[in-house]
Amino acid sequence: MRNAFIDTAIAACAHRDDVFIIAGDAGLGVFDNFKETHPDRFINLGVAEQNMASMASGLAMAGYKVFIYNIIPFVLYRCYEQIRNDICYQDVPVVLVGIGSGLTYAPQGMTHYSIEDIGLARTLPNLTVISPIDPMEAMAAARYALNARHPVYVRLAKRGEPNIHSIEPPDITMPQVVRDGSDVAIFFHGSIAEEAIKAAAELAEDNIHPRLVSMPMIQPINEQGVADVLKGIKTAITVEEHYANCGFGDIFIKTLIKHPKVTQIETLGIPPRFIHEIKDTKGMRDFFGISSPFIVKTVKKYYNR
Amino acid sequence: MIDNISKQIRRTIIELANASKGPHVGSSLSCVDLLAALYFEEMRVDPWEERDIFILSKAHAAMSLYSTLAARGIIDKALLDGYYVNDGTLPAHLDNTTARGVEVSAGSLGHGFNIGLGMAYGFKKKASPRRVFTIVGDGECQEGSIWEGALFAPKLQLDNFTAIIDYNNLQGYGRATELCSFEPVKAKWEAFGWCAIEIDGHNYGEISAALKANPSGRPKVIIARTTKGKGVSFMEDQLIWHYYIVTDEHKRQALMELA
Repeated sequence: MRNAFIDTAIAACAHRDDVFIIAGDAGLGVFDNFKETHPDRFINLGVAEQNMASMASGLAMAGYKVFIYNIIPFVLYRCYEQIRNDICYQDVPVVLVGIGSGLTYAPQGMTHYSIEDIGLARTLPNLTVISPIDPMEAMAAARYALNARHPVYVRLAKRGEPNIHSIEPPDITMPQVVRDGSDVAIFFHGSIAEEAIKAAAELAEDNIHPRLVSMPMIQPINEQGVADVLKGIKTAITVEEHYANCGFGDIFIKTLIKHPKVTQIETLGIPPRFIHEIKDTKGMRDFFGISSPFIVKTVKKYYNR
Repeated sequence: MIDNISKQIRRTIIELANASKGPHVGSSLSCVDLLAALYFEEMRVDPWEERDIFILSKAHAAMSLYSTLAARGIIDKALLDGYYVNDGTLPAHLDNTTARGVEVSAGSLGHGFNIGLGMAYGFKKKASPRRVFTIVGDGECQEGSIWEGALFAPKLQLDNFTAIIDYNNLQGYGRATELCSFEPVKAKWEAFGWCAIEIDGHNYGEISAALKANPSGRPKVIIARTTKGKGVSFMEDQLIWHYYIVTDEHKRQALMELA
């Protein structure tokens, strides 16, 4: 979905002269075409993330719609104060494109994981946070970001995620029902969606049909959209490739307080500790209890109870 | 004439510091002559839409910017009455939603400089004649972000960008030259590919000449040797005036000297 996002943003440059892309010495090959067609609107600002974020702010103040491309630790962590003061506080239209969401890069090591990025992003007012599940949502996220007048953070995986939606969602701000069902709803964002889909297929064999809901826009949460997808739901389960204590699930619990008919809530995520285990993404998901068997188990615990 | 303007700005700073009982009067007094030269000589502010941009990266000297903007008629003097007070108009560090002419919100060091580089780059890309000026502190030059920007700006040929280092050699807790290997300042910037000019930051002739000097396609840094607390004898080069409150008695003495 990384390419779906970038290609959509780049395509807009054919009829817009205000889009500027800054890479921080990452994304080898991703921008080759763009560099050729629009050499005046691409720059690699090297291994210097503080400068990258502040310069993006300045470019935006000079009238550009600026995309910053880097892996998530270098988009949000290394330069958090620049993002806070220079982009969000000044409320400029900079798009932070973060690659390698969750455990995408396992087993590269803890420094390369981004399992607390939503925890950081949710502290930043003015910042819209989007975590697409597939290329279709990534394209919709790019279109939203291109038109946004405020800062946007887009959290992307990079493992050739397949399409889950058959068409591009018309409104990325809304919860997206991926598969309808009843009683239990599973909410997710990002590439972990594939585990929820797999779980649903397995549950269907036992004639268990939870509602599957993608939540691409984590901040702000569309409250009316949530109310709509919660109709007939008693149990809400959230699953994410992120720390459970500060991610979407934690945000969502506060939203669910307004929905007393939802009486049971489970938030599946990674426990708040550093990861020293050496496993690939699938191995990590199994180890931390966020892969499809755990989703199946959790749904069965609550379905029609 | 510009001498009188500087005195007027300094008097306003003393009034603000006294009324607010806030800190940073010494930091504010040290860059007044630079600001006066920028706003009354060098920078284009008319028409406003095509103005040059000034960013006070060492935003703890906000009193000096507010006082200069008021002197230049860019903000209403009445705004100054609400400086650093409850339900006020202007905060002790810069917020660009509070007043015209406050281009960038700042207060954390090592930010405004880099935002300025981005703006200068944007103006270049748009083939706009607008220029960007910033004042950074000497202590601020200990921030890594400054040197990240310093590495990239020459490559981008940002000859529309000028940074002025307010080199008063008194930061919050001591002298920059004693805390770290600050010197040689000029050689450092030159080695990074900048047009570096060293001047007396209180001498208008030198400030003006440095601002007008042709940087030959490079970004420019003006190393302005200044005196913290400049213009008020008992504040000059005294570390305590980074923090001290200006009492009514201090104010009386200071205004006498600045008459």
